[in-house]
Amino acid sequence: MRLVTGQGYWSPLVWLALAAGVALLAWAFWSRGRRTYKAGTEQDQPFLSGERAPEGAHVGAPHLYWGFAQALQPVMDWLRAFHSGFLGDYVTWMVVLLAVALLVVVLT
Amino acid sequence: MTIGVHAPILAIAVPLLGAFALPVFAKVHRSLRDLWAIAVGAFTCAMVITVAVQTFTSGIQVYTLGAAAPTDTIASGGFPIRIMLVVDGMSAFMGLISALVGLASLVYAFHFLKEEQGKTLAMTLFFLLWAGMLGMEYTGDMFNFFVFLEVTSIAACSLVGYRTWESRPAEAAFKTMALYTVGGLLVLLAIGILYGEYGALNIAYLSSKITGSQLDKIALGLLLGGLLMKVGAVPAHMWAPDAYGEAPAQAAIMLVANTQASLYGLWRVLFTLFGGALSAPAVGWLVTSLGVLTLLVAVLMAVVQTDLGRLIAYGAVSQIGYMLLGVGVGLTVLPSRPDWGLVAMKGGIFHMVNDAATIGLLFLAAGVVKRAVGTRDLRALGGLGHDLKWTSGFFFLGALALAGIPPLNGFASKFLIYESSFRLSPILTAIAVLGSILLLAVFARAFQGAFLGPRLREAKPASPSMLVAMGVLAAVILAMGLVPGFFVEHMVTPAAEALWRGRDLYLAAVLGG
Amino acid sequence: MIGNFPFVVCMILIALGLWTLLTRRNLIKLTIGISLIESGVNLFLVTLGYVRGGVAPIYTYAPPGAKMVLPTPQALTLTSIVIGLATTALMLAFAVVIYRHRGTLDARKIRELRG
Repeated sequence: MRLVTGQGYWSPLVWLALAAGVALLAWAFWSRGRRTYKAGTEQDQPFLSGERAPEGAHVGAPHLYWGFAQALQPVMDWLRAFHSGFLGDYVTWMVVLLAVALLVVVLT
Repeated sequence: MTIGVHAPILAIAVPLLGAFALPVFAKVHRSLRDLWAIAVGAFTCAMVITVAVQTFTSGIQVYTLGAAAPTDTIASGGFPIRIMLVVDGMSAFMGLISALVGLASLVYAFHFLKEEQGKTLAMTLFFLLWAGMLGMEYTGDMFNFFVFLEVTSIAACSLVGYRTWESRPAEAAFKTMALYTVGGLLVLLAIGILYGEYGALNIAYLSSKITGSQLDKIALGLLLGGLLMKVGAVPAHMWAPDAYGEAPAQAAIMLVANTQASLYGLWRVLFTLFGGALSAPAVGWLVTSLGVLTLLVAVLMAVVQTDLGRLIAYGAVSQIGYMLLGVGVGLTVLPSRPDWGLVAMKGGIFHMVNDAATIGLLFLAAGVVKRAVGTRDLRALGGLGHDLKWTSGFFFLGALALAGIPPLNGFASKFLIYESSFRLSPILTAIAVLGSILLLAVFARAFQGAFLGPRLREAKPASPSMLVAMGVLAAVILAMGLVPGFFVEHMVTPAAEALWRGRDLYLAAVLGG
Repeated sequence: MIGNFPFVVCMILIALGLWTLLTRRNLIKLTIGISLIESGVNLFLVTLGYVRGGVAPIYTYAPPGAKMVLPTPQALTLTSIVIGLATTALMLAFAVVIYRHRGTLDARKIRELRG
């Protein structure tokens, strides 16, 4: 059941066996660690950035990759403007694609 | 066996009849209509599987309409004038994808539509779309291809916009319909040019005559323009997030399958119709670079989406990029046919079925979310995992498979693409890997935002038919992930070979050896 | 002697339709533009099948030995017209739904789906 590519091969069963081995190793390390966890104490409380999280606090999807979005702001603004939602733009870009395809095909 | 011989036409005719008979049965009684829908769906799947088994075991199936015998391709006068269906490995493979998605959509819709208006008409459109997709994939005639293309366009856009009590679906449907119609007319214009030149519409006959004259090139350019729009290649992809995002879940996965049927049309045109005349690698490079552009732009847009449906829709567009990349690499090196070109084609084609299963699963899960809490806005969602345990599991599985995490199916097909496309240019592989990483980021964000965290509101649990539909797709994902070798050897390789070297066989099957 | 003139007219019609799509904003006018492209393509198909001096391809009515125009493009055109009718009707229906919800047909204002 291997998938041979000419450069190498991919076998999920071998991968699963290796992953099981790694998991076993990790479990062996973990089981030798100190046990300081106590249920029902402050250790169970959720924290957000070092502060005790308020009841029902949820780090929603818009909060993730904030830095990524911030750093790529100019690119993303440009891309969003590109998807303007105006039907004329849709048709324009389709005509551009058609023109490129025609040029590539006819000139070669 | 008689029914085996007639299976290709039955696979198209039965859902077509089923579509138009459905409203009649609905007038009689609702349970009769449901029974009819189940019967038609089951029979269509059986026919598609029959066709696929026959094709994979005994080669190309030809079915000539209106002839004394179905294999009677050449009319008196030595000219293939009749409409015919030609099913080779690639067509059979695409038929299986359509059948899988159609089955999942039908099962999913079963309880869902009971709660909404217009169930009968939506089901009619669904069967029409299904018949159109299978027709596009099985036909061996250019004009017939155009007719089925338009059937799918009309049915798909109606499915997007049939919920007239909301304003956004109508907007998405209008925009999509405008682009689909213009694209379809470009295809028709190209077909007209080819007919004027060679006086035939049969793909095999046209392919044997096409020499690569200036008019042929213009026709190819028009076909490329129309079909690249239909598959949603950047920069003409903008209809895709609108339509996928606004369609109800069971229709959205049919739209994805429809996009792949158009992709099949593109492969058929490039590899079979123009396979003999296309020697310059420029078209291959065009397809490859559009693929890379598509996956990068779509995945970047997916990062910033706040609507779960639209986010998955951009993910779906980016997957088209991988298919264009994989098969485009094969197309670029088609004249010299190195081994790694075939590997890239296998990757691209294997990714089609993987995409249908994973994107389908994600859309269905998003549909459950919409039904459970009434919104898909990621800014308002959270903690759905408490109530929707199975759905969260399915969404997680689909997200991992889409991002290409081993040992799931997305990894297997992307692995084939990575391992071969770098021979053409390492930049292609680098961008493809980057796209994959961004996809993982996108879906980690969506999963965390929608399903993890504290319970924010009460959620309505998924109905059993929804869970069954998602379970079918999840089982496909796991099976293709754990034993990719089996599927690649028995389904993907015949499909890739049909494009890679199969043109002569295709011509011989229709025109005689 | 009209030569290639019919083909030129078809292409002009198609170009006019595309121009309408690119420059107009009203959804009804956009639908008309698409209809223009459709008419251009249909005319192109009919023109393809014309044979100089040909008669309608009906065997029982044609005088013996007469040349006939090609019947296939006419069949294609009929099919294409029917499809065109369906798409036009569907687009106009969507335009009506959009107008009911938004109170406008200006494509620049119908941009709820973007970004």
